[in-house]
Amino acid sequence: MAKPRVAIFDFTGCEGCELNQLNFEDQLLDILAHVDIVEWREAMDGHADEYDIAFVEGSLSTPDCIKRIHEVRRKAKVLVALGACAVQGGINGVKNTHPIEEVREEVYGEDKYLFPTLPALAVSSVVKVDYNVRGCPMTQLEFLKVFTALVLGKEPIEPEHSVCVECKLKENECVYARGMICLGPVTRAGCDAHCPTVGQYCTGCRGLVPEPNLKAMEEILVEHGLNVDEAWKRLQLFNANEIEGVRS
Amino acid sequence: MVQFFLESERVTELVTHLKGQKPVFAPHRKGRKSFAFERVEDAADVVLDYPRVMHSIRKFFLPPRETLMTFDLAENDFSTADVQPSDAIFFGVHSYDLGAVHRLDYNLGKGHPEKNYITRRQGAVFVGVSFEPDAYHFCGSVGIDPMDTSGFDIFLTKLLDGYIVEALTEVGEQLLNGLDLPAHEAGKPARGNFQQHIYLPQAKLNEVMAKSYDNPVWAETAEKCVGCGTCNLVCPTCYCFNVEDTVNIQATGGTRDRHWDGCMLREFTGVAGGEVFREHLADRQRHRVFRKFKYISDETGQPWCVGCGRCTAYCTAGISIVNIVNRLVGDYEKVAVTPI
Repeated sequence: MAKPRVAIFDFTGCEGCELNQLNFEDQLLDILAHVDIVEWREAMDGHADEYDIAFVEGSLSTPDCIKRIHEVRRKAKVLVALGACAVQGGINGVKNTHPIEEVREEVYGEDKYLFPTLPALAVSSVVKVDYNVRGCPMTQLEFLKVFTALVLGKEPIEPEHSVCVECKLKENECVYARGMICLGPVTRAGCDAHCPTVGQYCTGCRGLVPEPNLKAMEEILVEHGLNVDEAWKRLQLFNANEIEGVRS
Repeated sequence: MVQFFLESERVTELVTHLKGQKPVFAPHRKGRKSFAFERVEDAADVVLDYPRVMHSIRKFFLPPRETLMTFDLAENDFSTADVQPSDAIFFGVHSYDLGAVHRLDYNLGKGHPEKNYITRRQGAVFVGVSFEPDAYHFCGSVGIDPMDTSGFDIFLTKLLDGYIVEALTEVGEQLLNGLDLPAHEAGKPARGNFQQHIYLPQAKLNEVMAKSYDNPVWAETAEKCVGCGTCNLVCPTCYCFNVEDTVNIQATGGTRDRHWDGCMLREFTGVAGGEVFREHLADRQRHRVFRKFKYISDETGQPWCVGCGRCTAYCTAGISIVNIVNRLVGDYEKVAVTPI
């Protein structure tokens, strides 16, 4: 049986997720044993017209992005969104909380008419996404799980529970007990609570749990010292698209 | 029962004495203001004066994560994990946490006995310590006293300048052999007062819970709740778990692992086909509380909550199980009680 052909594409993002793929120093040869990488702008030359699995990094923020993503979707049998920008719009989504003309002016100044721009969108809001590898940068642990499942022809399981679960399984002292603000209670697990474990707090990079109770989360944040605006800005950082219109 | 006196300065000596006989697990400082049971390397690190540890000693018998078996896809073969009796001393255990272990013994011992748990439970020796109830403890309301010695092999009752030491079993007596302690004859001190109370005993709570299925308290609690699952995971009488298979990147084999799960998590009640039985947080809150005060209690007559206060103390949203139960009591008795 021929190996599945993999292509990796970047849209609007910092390319940190792709870099994190290159960082699989211990597993890269194992990964390559299962698949042929046929296109990857960041790591190799060449262009492919046919591929089976597409990994897509970055949000969609220009008319050109929209055109390209439709082309990728047409060719790929399986499309995997890679990282916070691709999965939920990520930090780029903060742009969407400002009027688009203002943003254009701020970034491009008098040349703004040369650069058409759109609100930063999650890949799934334009084309069908089959699976997600979340995080900023994408969680290596989850990439390996999704990748292995695809190679075995299984359905990857996406966690629905919060980061708190993973912290509790590790008996981490609660970030709130350390006097910091944490978005773990409404953030989707799968990172093995990486940031709280190393003494940081959760910024919500892996997106929100399904049906998050954001009103209750606002109360928690306010109870622990933020004002209401600060609370929503915290939630917006990685999840502006998901919480758009939710604040009452 | 002979009582001995142990000066505070000699606790290290006692731990060292025990450590010479079996591995000892005891509370240690963890992080900024937390405590956790860990294996004692240096007896001086043991902390006996602590409000609560995040995870009770349950974690040694039913670990948060464990590998059940490893499998080989090429050979189509598997081998189950080698589980050994704990054969260790659990030092500085609070009475409610031993009460929780006894409840787990019931749940995991009946029906299809849980082999790994039962194996690890073997050879466990318990040394208890009394404690001063803090703003969250309410074990007095569920019939567990801070100075309750039942089930312990050795018990230490806190005094101002030391501890009363009692050996309650033969195993306990033998472990203390060779330690020269003066007798204590002044009797025991009065226990500290609880700041939290459930207003009715379990016999009456059974009646209350039977009438509480449609109480508005579940929806009101759900408004404050983010469904993070912390209350389940820190509960010493919770034992639900999920099992997952992980295949290695070479696709040659892998492991079947299990980890703690919780009924507050939406995916917990998800089944094949996508059906979710307790779709709303209110349904899940009710289930959680009923698991502690109704379902198993109807069967055993005992509250399945041990009053440790963890679910409340660790809830970032400030949801109090005592307030929920008292609200149900108040609605049943038609009297106003503390708001949730």
